[in-house]
Amino acid sequence: MMKNFKYILITLFLVSLSLGGCSGSKNVTKESDPFENLNRHVFGFNKYVDQKLVNPLSKAYVRNIPNGARKSISNHLDWMELPVTIANSTFQFDLENTILASAKFMLNGLTLGFYDLDNGETEILKKDFGSTLAKLNVPEGPFLVVPFLGPKMTRDFSGYFVDRQNMTKVSSTTVNDINLIEIPINVIDTRSKLSNAIDKLYNSPDPYTKMKSYYIQNRRKNVYNEKYHNIKNKNKDEEFEKLLQ
Amino acid sequence: MRSFYNKFKIKDLLYFVLILPISITLISNGACADKLEKSNTIIQEMISKAKVNAIETLKLDQNEKSLRISSLIKEYINLNFMAKATTGSFWKKATVLQRERYKNALLQEIVKTVEDHLNTLSTLNYISTDSELRGKKLIYVRGRIEDPNNNKPPVNLLWKLATNNEGNLQILDLEIEGISLVSSHKAETMTILRKNKGDFEVLLDKYNKKK
Repeated sequence: MMKNFKYILITLFLVSLSLGGCSGSKNVTKESDPFENLNRHVFGFNKYVDQKLVNPLSKAYVRNIPNGARKSISNHLDWMELPVTIANSTFQFDLENTILASAKFMLNGLTLGFYDLDNGETEILKKDFGSTLAKLNVPEGPFLVVPFLGPKMTRDFSGYFVDRQNMTKVSSTTVNDINLIEIPINVIDTRSKLSNAIDKLYNSPDPYTKMKSYYIQNRRKNVYNEKYHNIKNKNKDEEFEKLLQ
Repeated sequence: MRSFYNKFKIKDLLYFVLILPISITLISNGACADKLEKSNTIIQEMISKAKVNAIETLKLDQNEKSLRISSLIKEYINLNFMAKATTGSFWKKATVLQRERYKNALLQEIVKTVEDHLNTLSTLNYISTDSELRGKKLIYVRGRIEDPNNNKPPVNLLWKLATNNEGNLQILDLEIEGISLVSSHKAETMTILRKNKGDFEVLLDKYNKKK
């Protein structure tokens, strides 16, 4: 009970921070980074952890585990995340995504998600509580770099807590124990997939700003709807046309 | 005489009201379709040339490899535009020499990125999905990179093109899964320039150090 209360408090604090960070503004194209100095320090810390621990482990993972087995692990980790997508698609009244994600979860459940029985044919949009809050017009809030977790918008960080809390509520203790093993495997698996991109990012003149830009663009692409993208493209077109004159 | 005048007037009116706008629409539609097709062809052509380069440059040394890739980039990418777009208002403050050095640094960045992905690119398929005329000058070409063995998920691409001063269509920006290369590069250069009061030398130093 006390643990749940703590989670609620953290979530409420983060949501209020994101509301305060953008109060009165619906403009999502502006990137708010009031904690830049702190974020840069945490980014440095995460980079250190990555270079000393995660990267060597992910290299060993790629070297020692065959491609097929890595793909199975990756499939399984994706499958484990499906309940979060199902719940949030329901909250967002995205019926098609809810049905597709549920069907995929049940179908691949036959192999515990290790083998993708529909061969990636079904396109499912990954949804989390951060995207549900976005749907409810909660502003994205300031940009944060969280120790070990990496970049997050305040709104998405609060959503992360809700998703984790829901996952632990619906699953059994055994599944929670498995989660403890799966989280580090997920980190190593993701790092191995993004190896080239991350190494290139570290070599850029300002890795922090580049990472922030990549993260925000990618997150907005996944969270916002067609209307936002049309406005974004229109603004960019105008900027480009001016430069072409 | 009067009937002739009336007839002429009606004919004239008909011409201006109906025929002229229809022909203008038809001609501009044809020109538009032609431009879109040309843009698609340019992207396809660049990708096939890059694939050929990947095979032909396997035995070449690093310098020759880079030279071939940079000539390919210069042919298809509007570096002048990219340099302007990624430095915003600071571009005006740079000297002619600094501008040239920055364009060169940008070229080297793109060459390095292409070199890193050239071998992977040669094993993947590019499929053009659609193209669209945006405003007066811009053209969007959408496509997808697919792995024939289904080992990697497909990657959606959006190329932005426009005609340069010489009348050739060139690439202005590329969005990979919604991430614009110009935007991310701009965010980085603008932060460095803003922190150093628009001093291009600091920016150029940072690029040189990373070489």
